[in-house]
Amino acid sequence: MHNDPILQVLEACDQRRNARREFMRFAGGAAVATAGASVLAACSDSGGGFITPGPTPTPTPTATTALTDADVLNFALNLEYLEAQFYSFAATGAGLPNSSLTGTGTQGAVTGGRKVTFTDPLVERYAREIAADEIAHVNFLRTALGSSAVAQPAIDIGVTSTSAFSNAARAAGLIGAGAAFDVYATDENFLLGAFIFEDVGVTAYKGAVGFVSNKTFLEAAAGIHAAEAYHAGLVRTVLYRKGVATPSLIDATEAISTARDSLDGSSDLDQGIRATGSGNATASNIVPTDGSGIAFSRTPGQVLNIVYLDRTAKTAGGFFPNGVNGTIRSSASN
Amino acid sequence: MDDQMLVTHAFDARAKRREERRDFFKMLGGAAAVGGAAFVMAQSGEAQAQSGPTDADILNFALNLEYLEAQFYYFAAFGSGLPNSILTGTGTQGAVTGGRQVSFSDTLVAQYAREIAADERAHVEFLRTALGSAAVAQPAIDISASANGAFSSAARAAGLIGAGASFDPYASDENFLLGAFIFEDVGVTAYKGAAPLLSSKTFLEAAAGILAVEAYHAAIVRTTLYAKGIATPSAQLIQATDAISNARDSLDGTTDLDQGLTPLSSNPNASNIAPLDANGIAYSRSAGQTLNIVYLNNAQVNGGGFFPNGVNGNIRASAAN
Repeated sequence: MHNDPILQVLEACDQRRNARREFMRFAGGAAVATAGASVLAACSDSGGGFITPGPTPTPTPTATTALTDADVLNFALNLEYLEAQFYSFAATGAGLPNSSLTGTGTQGAVTGGRKVTFTDPLVERYAREIAADEIAHVNFLRTALGSSAVAQPAIDIGVTSTSAFSNAARAAGLIGAGAAFDVYATDENFLLGAFIFEDVGVTAYKGAVGFVSNKTFLEAAAGIHAAEAYHAGLVRTVLYRKGVATPSLIDATEAISTARDSLDGSSDLDQGIRATGSGNATASNIVPTDGSGIAFSRTPGQVLNIVYLDRTAKTAGGFFPNGVNGTIRSSASN
Repeated sequence: MDDQMLVTHAFDARAKRREERRDFFKMLGGAAAVGGAAFVMAQSGEAQAQSGPTDADILNFALNLEYLEAQFYYFAAFGSGLPNSILTGTGTQGAVTGGRQVSFSDTLVAQYAREIAADERAHVEFLRTALGSAAVAQPAIDISASANGAFSSAARAAGLIGAGASFDPYASDENFLLGAFIFEDVGVTAYKGAAPLLSSKTFLEAAAGILAVEAYHAAIVRTTLYAKGIATPSAQLIQATDAISNARDSLDGTTDLDQGLTPLSSNPNASNIAPLDANGIAYSRSAGQTLNIVYLNNAQVNGGGFFPNGVNGNIRASAAN
């Protein structure tokens, strides 16, 4: 009875409506509420009829806040613009062509970004690979979204003392007041800059995948989710190996992880790469997981806390000085 | 040692096939659509097409794979397998054949093995808890290094060893990493193929989280093999990954769903740690295609390879390719 993929999707919609009610019961933030609403909206499109949430003590989304799969994909597109520009500049010294940046909302420019002075030729090859993947994600999402794709918002990947990277590094205690963190200066700094983003992308897609109703988009999101995990695994493995000779790199990942955790609420959703155990029981910690060996999730609001570098409800800041484009714009209030 | 990598084949055909695949995806206009179509085709060819898989069927299918991975990494890292208390369940419980601790030379590879072993055991326990009394027992598993074992058969299919020779994934850091390579990307594609079929949002999100962890693992293995392959070209490690990828692709049907570590011709000066399509998206395998690989058989069968008596649960048959 489930052979027809359409029927599977419809049944999934039913299940998700129920799951959403449970989810909303204990989820507090506005961003979470709107993301949950997207499931309802999308499912009502395919299932015929908006299903009013049951009598639970949760905010009832109105028609004006109901989101679509396009809203979720556009949220992801903003993040992919940021990642693609960072890696593209780092690997090649140039950003994405303007033809890949147009769309709805206010298009913004990239501040900063330059080619990394690579010493380790393998790190340079990794940068080229990840850049190509992230550009492919931008183009894929733009194609999937068509005319509803958002434009690239203003992005700060500069290295001045007041830039987002420097503010992030300062929040982590890696640099002092008034100092700058130049992610393009060395292999190590580039890897730490990448570290700031990569695990966040993994948690963002994991958090979003349950809110995408269209089966094709869901599978695509799962595939991008996996790609981000490959990237994060790559970056963390290389940092771990270099950390044997340069232990401060391990410390830096822990500090960045702690800084992220201070932004996104009280739950610990993040881990650096410091090894666990000792002696012959020492184990690496390349994979940030919970006790069940499962990767963490972040809501869109929590993801925006990190890229805005602000733990309160804001619509701009950090790597997106004017905010992201699209319907999902507000960080969570933590 | 008798299982020294003896890769002498050229892999030009491999690169050509990758390019053909990319064109194929472009023609169909997106990897996600291709993945969905692949599943529909695989389902229609399966014997149990009358009843679609339930969430429990899918999670039990995953549990079989996690038993295999957890036992391999547990033996490799610690020299022993999982306790019997987390191997019981429905269906016929089987034993593990082979498996022993790797004599690691590279301290970090030993640390990776311990981390991955713990993660895979956690996956087994998570899935068993989620399934409760419906959890399947561990089926018979072959992770031996004998000449007629599954690892040797897989290595022989990849052309890494000759007739009658054995491949010992416990003999060296490099062999262990290649043994891990055989599994890890397959796990990623299996979870990605299964995720859209899950009805429960809770299970979907958990499956996505396990998918990500398998991708992290795969990245550890691929990044380490790549660095070692560049440092010691004579070990032919990069060529070996291409050969294993090639063998997997020969098992799971005509669509190329797999990549070794040789850079893509579209980005020749880059690494190829993440095996992705032209859209930067990971591949999917149907349950049947996944079973083709772990059964080491491109035909529709109910057992073989790493699962000599087949997997337990309702999803048992490999795809007919």
